[in-house]
Amino acid sequence: MAATVVSLRRPKPSRQIGWIRGARAILNGLRITNGHFMRNLWGHIRGKSTVFTVQYPEERLELPPAFRGMPVLVQMDNGMPRCVACGLCEWACPTDCITIFPAETADEVERYPDVFDIDMSRCMFCGLCEEACPEEAIVMSHEMEIAAFSRRGTLWHKADLLTPVEKLESRLSHIRLGYERPASPPAE
Amino acid sequence: MAKITIDGETIEVAEGEMLLPAALEHGVHIPHYCWHPKLSVDGSCRMCQVDIEGAPKLSIACNTPVRDGMVVHTKSEKVEAARKGVMELLLVNHPLDCPICDKAGECLLQDYSYSYGSNESQSSETRRKLEKRKDIGPRIFLDQERCILCRRCVRFCREITGTSELSVFNLGHTSVLDVLDDQPLANDYSVNVADICPVGALTSKDFHHKLRVWFLKKTPSVCPKCANGCNVTVQHYRDRVWRVMPRRNDAVNDTWMCDHGREGYDYLSAADRLRQPLVRRGAALAEAGWDEAFDTAATRLREIARGHGPAAIGAIASAHLANEENYRFAQILTAVGTDRVGLPVPMGPSDDLLIKAEKAPNARGARDLGLAANGGDGARDLLSAAAAGELKALYVCGSDILRLEDADLIDRALAKLELLIVQDLTLSPLGERAHVVLPSLSFVEKEGTFTNHAGRVQRFHKAWESPEGQLGDGEIFSQILGRLAEAPRVYDASAVFDEIAATHADYAGLSYDSLGSAGVETAAAPAQPGEGRAL
Repeated sequence: MAATVVSLRRPKPSRQIGWIRGARAILNGLRITNGHFMRNLWGHIRGKSTVFTVQYPEERLELPPAFRGMPVLVQMDNGMPRCVACGLCEWACPTDCITIFPAETADEVERYPDVFDIDMSRCMFCGLCEEACPEEAIVMSHEMEIAAFSRRGTLWHKADLLTPVEKLESRLSHIRLGYERPASPPAE
Repeated sequence: MAKITIDGETIEVAEGEMLLPAALEHGVHIPHYCWHPKLSVDGSCRMCQVDIEGAPKLSIACNTPVRDGMVVHTKSEKVEAARKGVMELLLVNHPLDCPICDKAGECLLQDYSYSYGSNESQSSETRRKLEKRKDIGPRIFLDQERCILCRRCVRFCREITGTSELSVFNLGHTSVLDVLDDQPLANDYSVNVADICPVGALTSKDFHHKLRVWFLKKTPSVCPKCANGCNVTVQHYRDRVWRVMPRRNDAVNDTWMCDHGREGYDYLSAADRLRQPLVRRGAALAEAGWDEAFDTAATRLREIARGHGPAAIGAIASAHLANEENYRFAQILTAVGTDRVGLPVPMGPSDDLLIKAEKAPNARGARDLGLAANGGDGARDLLSAAAAGELKALYVCGSDILRLEDADLIDRALAKLELLIVQDLTLSPLGERAHVVLPSLSFVEKEGTFTNHAGRVQRFHKAWESPEGQLGDGEIFSQILGRLAEAPRVYDASAVFDEIAATHADYAGLSYDSLGSAGVETAAAPAQPGEGRAL
């Protein structure tokens, strides 16, 4: 089939009142900028009720449970990770940032992660590890301050990742909602 | 020949063959648990039921001989309903252990559950509680809850090893797989039951909770632990061998291998592996570049050949090296003009199944290439000659002589030498006394061929690339040979094999590619009488 050439013509802006429109847009922009400036200035002087800017890190927002921060390991009351090193998160991870080597324990669960490393410089906080986990053992926390002074410092080990289960309750109940899981946690 | 129709496709199979193997052979997959190509038919899992026209009800394909004109349906509604029912019953008591089960990823119950099972369970009863992680032998854990009672392991122990340790006790829904207390599963082939177990009931202690199987990369290879040359798959991850499993070869090992062949591969990734050549400077060994090591070795060999005559140079060949490498080694010996060579072959227990007495993979290949004095091993004679002062230089491949000969003899032999070249994976006590130490590569880091006890030439493949600056034995030999004589310094296993085929009558007509995955027997020789029997 022979191709048909279609020429598109965009309407040209009218030149007659161009400078008027330009001037109006500039003035309008200045009005908005100035308005915010004044609001923030007076807000700071009088107390911050009208100020939109959050003074991070002195001030922090309360994050919603759906917020996906850095993935962490759920620590049970006996100090052990809930993780059984099944490796599904390692497999699900699109950036290959998780490294697990399992080991045996005398507990009923038989195995636990001997090595559990997450390379935070690779992690993109997608949450697929959390979704893949059959044990609710890896969850996305509210932690997102993961800057380090070296590349080695961005490698988080098991001891760094373990977080007591009480601190993660809001996220755990949130993922149970989202993935239609029963309300009670799985037997440990 | 019988003509049968499976799912509308007509195939020709041998009369009397069972339907299941015939279908599998022709690419029709009928799911099955208890049937195994090398074991007798049990018919206990009921998974392979198919619909045969004219039959009053479904028949199990594993125990139904083909008949001319048979019309079989493997995907009809009736069959699928039956499979779903079988899966449901098999899963009634199966624990939801998959996250901690070593079999996950290669588990037939898991795979078939996805392909043929149902998503819902109708049972409301609790699953039965049985013993988990039961220690039934030195190499095997038994998890009775996971067992689906297919009895493959029971038949293996009865029919292949003849030891009958495993058995199914009790009747009906109380049936349980177990061993008697005074008869643990301790035969030399016990880990095979973990391989053939379709679920995670029998697992290898060596691999227990080590790694998820889907991370393992698989490289076809040949077991280096004895002269039988069992075909294996080296399973590795992050440049480490995690397990070795048998690979089917009906001419060598069927689908089995012994337990010794699966163990002891930690040395391959040990921290004390040599990575750089060492050359003696004064009293101490110092790290050197490859060129310096090659030059030193070649120059000193030439000097000694000139000064003391070629007969002052001896060589200890290795039965652990590939044919191609040993061929190059033989060329080095020809180049310096000596024929004083010994081949130490470690010996050990053997049986009439797979385990051979010679505990090296390529003793026969080395003998075929003329690397053994008078057909015997000759290593002791060579050391005695060295102790008597006849030898001035010794080129040792591997460290087998340390295991075989007494330390005193080795000590006296080494004391008289002016040049000792040692080529090995690690710095052995032999290497510590050497003048040149050449670090080489193991069988998983290079490729080549081994000739097994029966004269079958089989290829092994490279599992992972070794770090930059590491050379295999073949490359090392070629470099030294190139300095001693007019010869190419590059090494290509395939080309060297062609050279062997051109120069050795036994190997005539063979080529690297024609060996395939199963290997080819050399023109020379049937198996030695009394050794090996067809399984």
